[in-house]
Amino acid sequence: MSELFVEKYPEQARLIRLAFTASFIALGVGAVFGLLQALHRTDILRIVESPTYYTLLTGHGVFLVVTFTIFFLVGLYQWAVTDSLDRGPVDPRVTWTWYGLMSAGTIITAVTILAGFLGDPPEVLGSELSADVLFTFYAPLQANPLFYVGLVVFVVGTWLAGADWFRTWLAWSRDNPDERIPLPTFMVLTTMIMWYISSIGVAIAILAFILPWSLALTESLNPTLTRTLFWYFGHAFVYFWLLPAYLLWYIVLPKLSGGRLFSDPLARVVFILFVLLSTPVGIHHQYLDPGISEGFKFIAMTNTMFLLLPSLLTAFTVVASMEHGARQRGGEGTFNWLRALPWRDPAFTGMALAGIVFAFGGFTGIVNAGMNINYLVHNSVWIPGHIHTQVGTAVALTLMAGSYWLVPQLTGNRLVNRQAGLVQVVLWFLGIVFMTNSMYRAGLFGVPRRTAEPEYSFEYDIGVGSMAELNVQLALGGTLLFVSAMLFLGIMLLTAFNDDTEPLVDGTIPPALSGPEDSPPVLDNLRLWIAIALVLVVIAYIIPLASIVDRGGLFGPDIGPFPVFVQITDAIPTVFYSLGALIA
Amino acid sequence: MRISPPRLLLIVAFVLVVFLEARTVLAFFGVAVSPLESAIAAVAVIAVLVYWGTRPVDEEPTEE
Repeated sequence: MSELFVEKYPEQARLIRLAFTASFIALGVGAVFGLLQALHRTDILRIVESPTYYTLLTGHGVFLVVTFTIFFLVGLYQWAVTDSLDRGPVDPRVTWTWYGLMSAGTIITAVTILAGFLGDPPEVLGSELSADVLFTFYAPLQANPLFYVGLVVFVVGTWLAGADWFRTWLAWSRDNPDERIPLPTFMVLTTMIMWYISSIGVAIAILAFILPWSLALTESLNPTLTRTLFWYFGHAFVYFWLLPAYLLWYIVLPKLSGGRLFSDPLARVVFILFVLLSTPVGIHHQYLDPGISEGFKFIAMTNTMFLLLPSLLTAFTVVASMEHGARQRGGEGTFNWLRALPWRDPAFTGMALAGIVFAFGGFTGIVNAGMNINYLVHNSVWIPGHIHTQVGTAVALTLMAGSYWLVPQLTGNRLVNRQAGLVQVVLWFLGIVFMTNSMYRAGLFGVPRRTAEPEYSFEYDIGVGSMAELNVQLALGGTLLFVSAMLFLGIMLLTAFNDDTEPLVDGTIPPALSGPEDSPPVLDNLRLWIAIALVLVVIAYIIPLASIVDRGGLFGPDIGPFPVFVQITDAIPTVFYSLGALIA
Repeated sequence: MRISPPRLLLIVAFVLVVFLEARTVLAFFGVAVSPLESAIAAVAVIAVLVYWGTRPVDEEPTEE
């Protein structure tokens, strides 16, 4: 049994525990909002008015895909860098500064979102304290300026965290000039390179256009431009959620299986491919946006299909590692080795189930990426189905499963009730299958997303079964997911206070079967990959952006904020006009 | 028990998933299965699985 992380690096363990605490609080709040949404949308239980649904929806998105995932990421990456380089940060004050910035940003943004529940929100910075703009904050939907300020502070915190890890690695490489970058640190550095390149887009969108517009410093903006800048960042953002899960699959899952990683070089290639390909594909999220020509969308589709390569490489490498582990444990035969895997361990089982759901979600992602069939599903509830299989399970379930392995090492406490952990991961798996099966099916028949009232006043002809049946299935799935999330949080809370126990966990990571010495050193040439990534970004984006600015201008053709609540007196003429047009 | 509780739990979970997805798949081939029929079939299969899994293993004579 190796020395526990908390004993070797107590200060780092404290920081990671705090990051995980922030992450888990966000998970709890987001899960409550998710349950309320599932019950509201399906008209089973409505405890808020429908306009407030969009406050829930914004909170669910921001707290889960920004706060939960990224706080977990920084905690996990702090562990990965410290453990693999066998040293702490160069200057701990920097480390605490980025944690402080991320926390401050979260609180500022959370206050603006939660103020949406107030009957009469206060005026702050010249506008109502509210942010019902969803996590994509598409203009002309407008939030209070503090919402954007909080996001900026949070993202600056993540930039500083990346700089902190680069600094630790540079200090290590000065002491170890001829060594290859250890794989966990390589994964952290490449993830952050991708994050730096992509988050420039959202930083420009907020700082140059949306924030000044929300402060009334500028009168208008160009929504196509800000949306395009958001999605320049948005698809890499998806991988920012996913790559911590990849790190756990590559580094921890083979060990839990009883073996070793099949190939270190393949893992490096996968992360480099994400640096190169994750950003020049964002326009595939805008297939239905007017103002971007079909040719650019076709190029984005082609680039997107190349992203299947790292996913398939990962499937091969991770499954090969699991098979190797199973055979070390006595597994035999073509498929019988599966029985030798440690299915009792919630950390292993959770990651394995997450991987299965990820594969299924990947197939639905191919549908989303295909330009012609995307038109069928784009604004339907199919898309939330996809995001819940991917970030909602491949990522979330892997992070929860990883916590069962990592938290005892960070606290020095034994994991409370491993059997309950196993039930938790299986419940999540069942919940997501029930919920997303309903979402995918409903989406194929045109049931819309992002609405509190998906059925309006008619019933969809959904082909198989009935809409009521799909609603029950969605609500049942959402309830199972909520119960699972609460069970996870309960286990984590009890483990945190489970003093006077010894953890039953070994944190040693065995070397890969094929180590870094089997790969060309050029894989570690980070400058080269940054340069190629930037060239690809310029090729993919320079002409579409120039075209958008040329057509709509930098600050757009008089685009004012879209009112979230339409006054009935304003709406009456429009209603009469529409009725007249229909009768005519 | 013929099978460990964790494995039984996982198999039961996969049975539920198969029955849920099978209904959609069968509909593509024109076979309509109602939710009630699907639920009854799933419960029956799970009951058989649990009965089989929790029965004691028969003592087998050792070969020597």
